[in-house]
Amino acid sequence: MRTTCPYCGVGCQVEPRLKEGRIVEVRGAEIPPNHGALCVKGRFGLDFPFSGKRLLYPMVRERKGAPLRRATWEEALDFAARRLLEVLGRRGPEALAVFPSAKTTNEEVYLAQKLARALLGTNHVDHCSRLCHSSSTAALSRSLGGASMTNPLEDIWKTDLFLVVGSNTTETHPVIGAMIKKRVRQGAQMIVVDPRYTGMAEASTLWLRVRPGTDLFLLNAMARFILEEGLWDRAYVEARTEGFAEWRASLEAYTLEEAERITGVERGKIALAARLYATTERAGTYWAMGLTQHTKGTATVQALVNLALLTGKVGKEGAGLNPLRGQNNVQGAGDMGALPDVLPGYWKVADQEVRRRFEALWATPLNPDPGLRMTEVFERIPEVEAIYLIGEDPVTSEPYQDHLKAQLEALPFLIVQDILENETTPFAHVVLPAASFLEKDGTFTNTDRRVQRVRKILDPPGEARPDWWITRELGKRLAQALGRPWTLHPGPEAIWEEIRQAVPEMVGGITYRRLEGEGVRWPCPQEDHPGEAVLFRERFNTPSGKARFIPVHFTPPAETPSEEYPLVLSTGRVLYHWHGGTLSRNSRLQEAYPELKVEVNPKDAGRLGIHDGEIIQVVSRRGRIRARAWVTDRTPEGVVYAPFHFAEAPANRLTLDALDPTSRIPEYKVAAVRLEKLD
Amino acid sequence: MRLRVNGKEVEAHPGTLLLEVAEVPTLCHHPHTETRGLCRLCLVEADGRLVPACATEAREGMELRTETEGLRTLRKTLLEWLALTTDLAQAPDLLALMERYGAEPERWGEVPGRRGREVLKDNPFYLRDYAKCVNCRRCVDACGDGIMGVYALTLEGRGLLAHPTTPLDRPLPETPCVFCGNCIQVCPTGALRPLSMEV
Ligand code: SF4
Ligand code: SF4
Ligand code: SF4
Ligand code: FES
Repeated sequence: MRTTCPYCGVGCQVEPRLKEGRIVEVRGAEIPPNHGALCVKGRFGLDFPFSGKRLLYPMVRERKGAPLRRATWEEALDFAARRLLEVLGRRGPEALAVFPSAKTTNEEVYLAQKLARALLGTNHVDHCSRLCHSSSTAALSRSLGGASMTNPLEDIWKTDLFLVVGSNTTETHPVIGAMIKKRVRQGAQMIVVDPRYTGMAEASTLWLRVRPGTDLFLLNAMARFILEEGLWDRAYVEARTEGFAEWRASLEAYTLEEAERITGVERGKIALAARLYATTERAGTYWAMGLTQHTKGTATVQALVNLALLTGKVGKEGAGLNPLRGQNNVQGAGDMGALPDVLPGYWKVADQEVRRRFEALWATPLNPDPGLRMTEVFERIPEVEAIYLIGEDPVTSEPYQDHLKAQLEALPFLIVQDILENETTPFAHVVLPAASFLEKDGTFTNTDRRVQRVRKILDPPGEARPDWWITRELGKRLAQALGRPWTLHPGPEAIWEEIRQAVPEMVGGITYRRLEGEGVRWPCPQEDHPGEAVLFRERFNTPSGKARFIPVHFTPPAETPSEEYPLVLSTGRVLYHWHGGTLSRNSRLQEAYPELKVEVNPKDAGRLGIHDGEIIQVVSRRGRIRARAWVTDRTPEGVVYAPFHFAEAPANRLTLDALDPTSRIPEYKVAAVRLEKLD
Repeated sequence: MRLRVNGKEVEAHPGTLLLEVAEVPTLCHHPHTETRGLCRLCLVEADGRLVPACATEAREGMELRTETEGLRTLRKTLLEWLALTTDLAQAPDLLALMERYGAEPERWGEVPGRRGREVLKDNPFYLRDYAKCVNCRRCVDACGDGIMGVYALTLEGRGLLAHPTTPLDRPLPETPCVFCGNCIQVCPTGALRPLSMEV
């Protein structure tokens, strides 16, 4: 049976073959987006639902300090509802937060945010993409009025130049990485901007090795050069954009000379990249966390947006602005309203008209004040007294781990709803065991806005239940006590039908029946609508219909190397693992990549007397971890690269919690560290 | 554009492969890989000449014959040779073809082949059982130009001893292999298969 890969935003269609309750083989389905291809995670990493770490029955912790004990569903749900209501009664909605997950289905996210908004009255709703693409969402929304890939993945075959910035695509979105590389073999060009010599850099026609955290300077300098040389698209800028003059004036300081000094990239290369990008009609931009996870993440994405607008690249086939979304359902979680300031369909909660529409649908008044973002909620503990966490493991994924643990320690009430035991479960007061992707129905929306089916192939183990069921049952109890309406949907399809009513302009035309075949891309307002491939062909989604240039300025990273901490730590992922490692490290993938390896440049290693394969310590102002050194010039001199998948050696113990002022994303990509030998 | 297939008139767009207008057996051809015309199983007679259907485009007015006596004999022999030199036990499509063309491999006696080759297990994900390989090269192409651009697999040796393997026969973890398993997906014989399939 066909379903959707639960790892990354590519959303590959997989056909797992099961025998005697285990997966014997996984084939890629011969339909979009992957057309039969898969990566190691989808092919060999789907066996985590069989892990011994599955949460099998509900548990509650009666009092602080007491152990978690097994409970019935009735008991656990009653207990959870009672405690939430108690906080609500005593402290009001602002003391509660609900975090759905970009790993659960659209239906489940929708229900969870509805529970938060319609029953608890709180807009403290957010999810893990706060930590990955919130910068992209912020920059794209304010400039274009939409925050998704503007172009479909099929456009890769029509692209003549790829500008890939801060994306290790072959490891983080491998099937897209392979597609782009193939297009390059067919003759397209590729400019890669990355401090590391990644698989993409290796396949590129032009590699710009920037110093970590200086991309914004480079992009502004490219824009300035394009203006100077008259290579910009004057007609496009006049007809389709606004704010140009002001933005242009802001570029004064971004000369090629300065750019060379700041970014470490030769000016000739910057000029060449700018020229290529400006003069290639079908030039598409792709980016990921290398750009977003900085204190100036939003500004850096903005610089990229400005560059694309200047050269008229948005709203055209084979071009566009394409953030590669991380988790399998990051796109869907945002679409479904798992964000503090917007309802499903990105409608602003602050807008009265918008609220009226959802108040009518949910038959209940809504809170007009945008909520707090995830990173802020953790800071507000214990002012925030209760958190309902669905499929999230903040202890592993949030920065500055020790601080976060202390915060969770101080949190009066935490519900953890998940499929596997993880680093956050010990902090829970109620544990609700959820069904994995193999054990439930629903939809995920992949990185290019394609809504795709998730199909139940197995029964959940023990007493585990699908997230939608758990949220529905919890909602039922809250609604009864509060005397508010709450629909008891019989299943995911019924929830989807409500979503179609909630955001008809987005997914009104997408039915489960249509999704029997391949997925359908939104916007898709009617059932006979094929789904939109390229966005913004005629107008942007802003009030004026024009895209906005917004000036942005370079600031150095929050923490710069010092004598005591002379190296820059950059965190990220490796091909074999996924985020906190909860899934991948409970699958066969663990065998291929069992422990943390940090990349150290041979020059730094030589100076410190560190040998390849040696166990060392990486130390920052906030903590230290042990890791095996991998001496390689993939990583530039002065930089150490550490994947963050390993709970026993969490790279996020080292990162700092400096945040981007707009998106509130932490600066995972730059922290000052030193390396210590063990003896 | 029109052409005749086994006497019947058919319509085709320019650029269509013969394979798409006529039903012929294939082995090395795979839509994802760029394999072209290696196994000869798909040979057809086009205007009197033998051409591989997987690598020849349809032309206006072409006379195509796909099941002549000669072609049947040729396919029968090709299949017999495959069955003699390799183990087709996990290649259901090929077994069905052998049945259809009445292949009798026994009639050739013993020939040197790869049946004795040992199964290679050098990674946590899949094995390489080249005793079952038919040299179609789909795996090499999937790993290389066809899909991945990784080039962890190549063809080594010549003639009957030609076989796909890693460069210099290195274990897979010592090659650029990223264990995407796309080679497994295109392999028609079970020569490459996931370890999870073994009991
Ligand atoms: S590319 Fe992403 S969606 Fe596709 S198989 Fe790999 S992890 Fe799954
Ligand atoms: S699994 Fe390895 S050998 Fe097979 S296609 Fe992928 S990279 Fe190539
Ligand atoms: S291993 Fe499989 S795909 Fe590769 S050449 Fe042999 S039979 Fe073909
Ligand atoms: S399928 Fe045409 S030659 Fe092999």
